[in-house]
Amino acid sequence: MSLPKISRVPASRLLSAVHDPRWPLRSAAPLAVPKRALTQSGYRRPGQPREDKPPWQRIKFDFSKGLEGITKHFKLLRQEFSDRLVGPEGKPIIEHMLEQNRVIWEFRGPDSLQEWTLSSDREIGGQSEIHLKLGKNNETCFLYGTLQSAPPRDGETRYSGYCSMRSKQPLVSFDRKKHHDWSSFNTLHLRIRGDGRPWMVNIAAESYFTHQKDDLYSYFLYTRGGPYWQDVKIPFSKFFLTHRGRIQDNQHPLWLDKVNTIGFTLGDKADGPFQLEIDFIGVCKDYAHTEDFAYEVYKRNPEV
Amino acid sequence: MKSTRCLLQLLRSGRTAARISELLLSPATSRLSVLHNQQQQALRHFHCSPASAKIRPVPARSVDEDKTNSTKSLATQEDLFEQVPEESKTKATFNQVIDVFTKRDIRRRGHVEFIYAALKKMSEFGVEKDLSVYNKLLDVFPKEVFVPRNYIQRMFNHYPRQQECGVQILEQMESYGIMPNVETKVLLVQIFGEKSHPVRKYQRIMYWFPRFKHVNPFPVPQPLPEDPVDLARLSLTRIANDLDSKITVYQLPCTDITESGEEIQLPHIVGIQSPSQMELLAKHNPNKPVFVEGPFPLWLRKTCVYYYVLRADPTPPEEKEEEVYDPERCFDYPLQLDLDLDRDLGDDESFDVDDLDEGPVFAMCMTSQGDQVTLNQWISGLQQNNPILGKVPTLFRLDAGIQELQAAAQPEPGHSHPPHPETQREDPQSDEDPEAVEEEESRRSHGMKQ
Repeated sequence: MSLPKISRVPASRLLSAVHDPRWPLRSAAPLAVPKRALTQSGYRRPGQPREDKPPWQRIKFDFSKGLEGITKHFKLLRQEFSDRLVGPEGKPIIEHMLEQNRVIWEFRGPDSLQEWTLSSDREIGGQSEIHLKLGKNNETCFLYGTLQSAPPRDGETRYSGYCSMRSKQPLVSFDRKKHHDWSSFNTLHLRIRGDGRPWMVNIAAESYFTHQKDDLYSYFLYTRGGPYWQDVKIPFSKFFLTHRGRIQDNQHPLWLDKVNTIGFTLGDKADGPFQLEIDFIGVCKDYAHTEDFAYEVYKRNPEV
Repeated sequence: MKSTRCLLQLLRSGRTAARISELLLSPATSRLSVLHNQQQQALRHFHCSPASAKIRPVPARSVDEDKTNSTKSLATQEDLFEQVPEESKTKATFNQVIDVFTKRDIRRRGHVEFIYAALKKMSEFGVEKDLSVYNKLLDVFPKEVFVPRNYIQRMFNHYPRQQECGVQILEQMESYGIMPNVETKVLLVQIFGEKSHPVRKYQRIMYWFPRFKHVNPFPVPQPLPEDPVDLARLSLTRIANDLDSKITVYQLPCTDITESGEEIQLPHIVGIQSPSQMELLAKHNPNKPVFVEGPFPLWLRKTCVYYYVLRADPTPPEEKEEEVYDPERCFDYPLQLDLDLDRDLGDDESFDVDDLDEGPVFAMCMTSQGDQVTLNQWISGLQQNNPILGKVPTLFRLDAGIQELQAAAQPEPGHSHPPHPETQREDPQSDEDPEAVEEEESRRSHGMKQ
């Protein structure tokens, strides 16, 4: 598990876990103070000139795009109102209260691929590739590509070689954020068929402070490989808190009421092609699992 | 914690030559704190006005260093490593280079750059997974110089470059998955003090590594077997998903001399099949073809092996036969109940997804050379136990792209792999004759390892 890092990083140093990479890497000595703080401006590839355009100049205004947008959003708004008439979250209340399992993502048609975003090493200058397509009979999603862990030669990045797939943030009408509410479940159930590589599952929950923007809850996904499907059940109590790929000292369990995205990352430093097939991703309630949290909420600064 | 403090005291006694006798006289733990202070004060004397330090050891200059100084204007710390010739880049030479550096200067000038250079060059010498080498590298740091002595120094990130360097050593250890030991901890505490960043990182490693050590439900043994047949056995049992499956080695790798006198490397062919797979194959409709598909990749840590699968298309729903349960098979309880009971929504534990039916898998095999000839051999070997293969047409769906990759990985003399998208084996291999059965039996006993 490796990730891009610069040689000089602030004093809080922790273990690394791979994850979706959008952290700013600080350059050696900025000549001009950027207008937006580094945590908010996102990652800037070393060597690219800084864009200091004010926000109103970054949006492109177009009439036809606006018209499309209006029709789409009002349609979504109308659907929302009609959903409320059926019950909470568009399901009858008895189903909402009693359901034990819910399939969140299943890949049964080309539209299902639109919900996912791919990212890889290329963004920071590496050579890994990742592609997503539908599997056999359009029934599964097939994630494949090549991993190259040679770091880009920009003087700053030291590790490289990762690929990831992340679900898009669910949006309601007018691009408002919608969160997954999994509070009545306690296990993540995946049906996958990998090639023996170890992946990492990352869940991003809604946070309040900007500093928590890159907080992810991660756990390992070990694939067996082979022609048979693998059912993986990961209880949510096992997910540990990481920030920008580094595991944190102060751990707390994942709060399931406002989950934004889920993602799969590969960064096992083994150069070569990889593939992962996913049948469906669901959540279920395992009554036999009574654990609240798998890691201790330890005291900080223990004596040596 | 007391034990590490004792270790610390002992190691420190090794370092300060002036106070050995005093330390040996007082081993009692109650006086440890007093000793500690005494030692600290003793060391301060050593640093401020060393009486014995006037006799400084002559820096050991090797011939190599003089050569560098004469040819290049700017000598980097990496030169020491680059001077070692390619053939002799081993752990011993790496340790020697570190010794050259440590003995060169009592103050260890430039040790931070040296350690960074050493970390970069470790993989060339093949010692990146060796804990003793990391401990030796940590030993390069001068001891007790970087330990903060008061609260102001502790507050202000005392000696930040050296702390960063220490953290980088630990980070490289962590990225290779090496667990540090108590010697690492003692060294870190000696060098940086107890509340420093490297010690904090060490604590984090020691907290999280044991937690995640056995989290893999399909662990890959370390080291991996080098023999390709053993590797094939291991990977086939892994992907078989069935503990009853049996491995058969149809052919061991050997060199064969053909009629024209050429030497051909025969690849190994290892197959696996479980009793349930045999049953499925026996029930297969002989009119429908079976496919040999491959090669599919399987990663075991850093090596990729390829396996081939014998499978068939799923039976369309109209042709599915329902298995008739024989009620006389079990008299204790009925095998089939015709009750119209449904589970409530609150008790339904199945997911609302269509079951994927991709067709049964009958057998898997692994071979280094995945062309049709080798796979034919596998099928004929399988036929020993599954006579239906003689009647069923077998189609080969081999992926040409990965075949070439495999061929490139194992160079064969003048072999080209033309793509075989679909080739049909027209006639069944052997007729069902009693003589043929005897022949098959004699073949079975010929040289098959079960």
